Amino acid sequence: MAPDASCLFLVMLLSASCEVTTSADQMCIEKEANTIYNCGNLGLGELPNTLPNTTEMLEFSFNFLPTIQATTFGRLINLIFLDLTRCQINWIHENAMQNHPQLSTLVLTGNPLIFVAETALNGPNALKHLFLIQTGISSLEFIPADNLKNLESLYLGGNYISSIKFPKDFPTGNLKVLDFQNNAIHYLSRGDTDSLRPAANLSLNFSGNDIKGIQPGTFESMVLQSLNFGGTSNLSIIFNGLHNATIHSLWLGSYEDTEDQDLSVSMFEGLCEMSVESMNLQNHYFSSLSLATFHCFTHLQELDLTGTYLKELPPGIPGMNSLKKLVLNVNKFEQLCQINAASFPSLTHLYVKGNRKRLQLGDGCLEKLENLQKLDLSHSDIEALDCCNIQLKTLPHLKSLNLSYNQGLDLQNEAFRACPQLELLDLTFTRLNIMAAQSPFQNLHLLQALNLSHCSLDTSNQHLLAGLPNLRHLNLQGNSFQDGNIPKTNPLQMVGSLESLVLSSCDLSSIDQEAFHGLGNVTHIDLSHNSLTSSSISALSQLKGTYLNLATNNIHIILPHLLPILSQQKIINLSNNPLDCTCSNIHFLTWYKENMQKFVNFEEISCASPPSLQGVRLSDVTLSCGLTAMGIFFLTVFLLFLAVLLIYIVKFFFRWKYQHI
Amino acid sequence: WGGDGVWPTHTACRKEGLEVLYQSCDPVQDFGLSIDQCSKHIQPKVRIRFGIILREDIRELYLDIALMSKGASVLNYSFPICEVDLPKFSFCGRKKGEQIYYAGPVNNPGFEIYEGKYQILLELYNEKRATVACANATVICS
Repeated sequence: MAPDASCLFLVMLLSASCEVTTSADQMCIEKEANTIYNCGNLGLGELPNTLPNTTEMLEFSFNFLPTIQATTFGRLINLIFLDLTRCQINWIHENAMQNHPQLSTLVLTGNPLIFVAETALNGPNALKHLFLIQTGISSLEFIPADNLKNLESLYLGGNYISSIKFPKDFPTGNLKVLDFQNNAIHYLSRGDTDSLRPAANLSLNFSGNDIKGIQPGTFESMVLQSLNFGGTSNLSIIFNGLHNATIHSLWLGSYEDTEDQDLSVSMFEGLCEMSVESMNLQNHYFSSLSLATFHCFTHLQELDLTGTYLKELPPGIPGMNSLKKLVLNVNKFEQLCQINAASFPSLTHLYVKGNRKRLQLGDGCLEKLENLQKLDLSHSDIEALDCCNIQLKTLPHLKSLNLSYNQGLDLQNEAFRACPQLELLDLTFTRLNIMAAQSPFQNLHLLQALNLSHCSLDTSNQHLLAGLPNLRHLNLQGNSFQDGNIPKTNPLQMVGSLESLVLSSCDLSSIDQEAFHGLGNVTHIDLSHNSLTSSSISALSQLKGTYLNLATNNIHIILPHLLPILSQQKIINLSNNPLDCTCSNIHFLTWYKENMQKFVNFEEISCASPPSLQGVRLSDVTLSCGLTAMGIFFLTVFLLFLAVLLIYIVKFFFRWKYQHI
Repeated sequence: WGGDGVWPTHTACRKEGLEVLYQSCDPVQDFGLSIDQCSKHIQPKVRIRFGIILREDIRELYLDIALMSKGASVLNYSFPICEVDLPKFSFCGRKKGEQIYYAGPVNNPGFEIYEGKYQILLELYNEKRATVACANATVICS
């Protein structure tokens, strides 16, 4: 059945390629004029004639090119990037790339390569990135090494490679990334890595290879940027095999679909004999977590224990003074104090995101973290009464706090007094209960960005945003205002330093003319997804040179006196408004054509009325509205009057003439 | 080359009064899926088999599920499968053009299916909102 299917497939491909050579030329998508083109998924059997010789980046994946030779892309002598993913390539002949001196990236992923000629990759002056993923390679000798001295990354994932030993003359000196994901590598020996020693700061990926043994000394005194053994079942093999290596980032995580042994204390012994800055152990299970587990962790600067089923970290882990970043996402803590943060006094970054239980913030659980700069407690089902001074007691250097996607917080005056250095506060999708006239963000003198989108705020509270002298970015998306109106006095008047303001999806139908007084610094204002009409544009008269987003509102007609306000803005998005394209809106329509360079997304700026022009782009509409209805009326009356007068004159003339006969 | 982009309807499982049918709604290609345990009492961590060619990188991969019953929407759900800071499955991070065959568990809770006919729209997409796979599924429980 499989051969049948593939024959049918081939027939389809061939028939497609016959047809398309004539018509598909137009179907390549121009991403950037004369230089970047996407001809993917077109079933092409050759290079379209219309593609200019100046093309530099060509996406040609999912086409049909069984053979590649010098003439295939020959005329594109400026090619820098060539993607030939899944083009059914079997053969790459001699000097196939000889006409492409600039070529730096060649993607051959998913091609059933039978043979690549010795000189196939000759030509490019500096070929830097070569993708040979799932090309059926079983031996590294398959890769023609003639012109690879500049190679920086080599992707060999999804092949049948069982040994990473490169042929003797293979140039590895400039390699930065060497990716062996999902191959059949089970053993690494000392001789295997000899050829990699010239490469400095190499990143090596062995994820998805079931490593069963590493010969002692294989990585002896090697310095590696990153090393990935993801999905490996027995970590003690890895730790013992990396004896005396220096590794910046070591990724040893497991996956939901891989079976692995529980982590025991003895497994980590090898870690004492090597130097690692950053280690990831995601998705493993610690059979017994004790102080001894961390015996060899003391030199780590970053530790990622995402999804490791932790209920607590043991108190008083000694010697963890180097740790700067700790990731404890997707675990099972009930209270923040269970991480026993005092063991990590130098911590600058702490992540407890997506906790699988409702996380209680407790009382001063992080107070020993004097150097903490970034804290992420998002998606952890947190609910807190009288937040957050007790909970975040003394975090004098905290700059970034993320409490988004939690249950709810009760905030009172100066709710973040405990972290006076905050520059970024994210409370998105967390319900905030703020008593009337309270100012929870008071005294956050350094706060620059505040995300309050979908927080169910009481926007009638004038003092909501008091005490934020440096706030530059404010997001209020998805909050509602009383009667859908932003009144003259509103919380925004407290934040005169704002540069960007988001008020999208706030159910607004009107904005008072003076609502934005005092927001003279705003350069970006988003009012999209509301029900605003053009009368709200008056509220923007104070703003100049802004990026103004009015997309998806209820704007029909824009009267002439509002046009100067639009003229003084820099970029405007008016897409998806029910714009009127009759003579009643002629002033705006004329002005629009003269100012089209101001508008973005103009494919979606279209007419809603009259019915005959519905859906037509505004830029395609030409109206001639010389006379108004009133004008036509007066003209008709005038003409009638003239006709009557003429008849009388003629009548008089004849009467006079006959009288004198 | 997918013609008009209408792919055949396949059977993912049929046993013990439960039938799961699906059809690819990605105009570019079909994909293969089978569910190992087929029963009204869905066990946690059901094993599936899944085969597809990737048209996009999946460093980040998300699943959207929309469940309909009798024409009314019952449930909409979005779920991250691969994230940069949490690649849950071994196939996370695979590249465009790679062929994937996955045989293993999905992280579902156990639940009971009530009698009736359900329509499910499943969509896998990456961080650029580019479709990786799309399925119109019908679940018939009798």
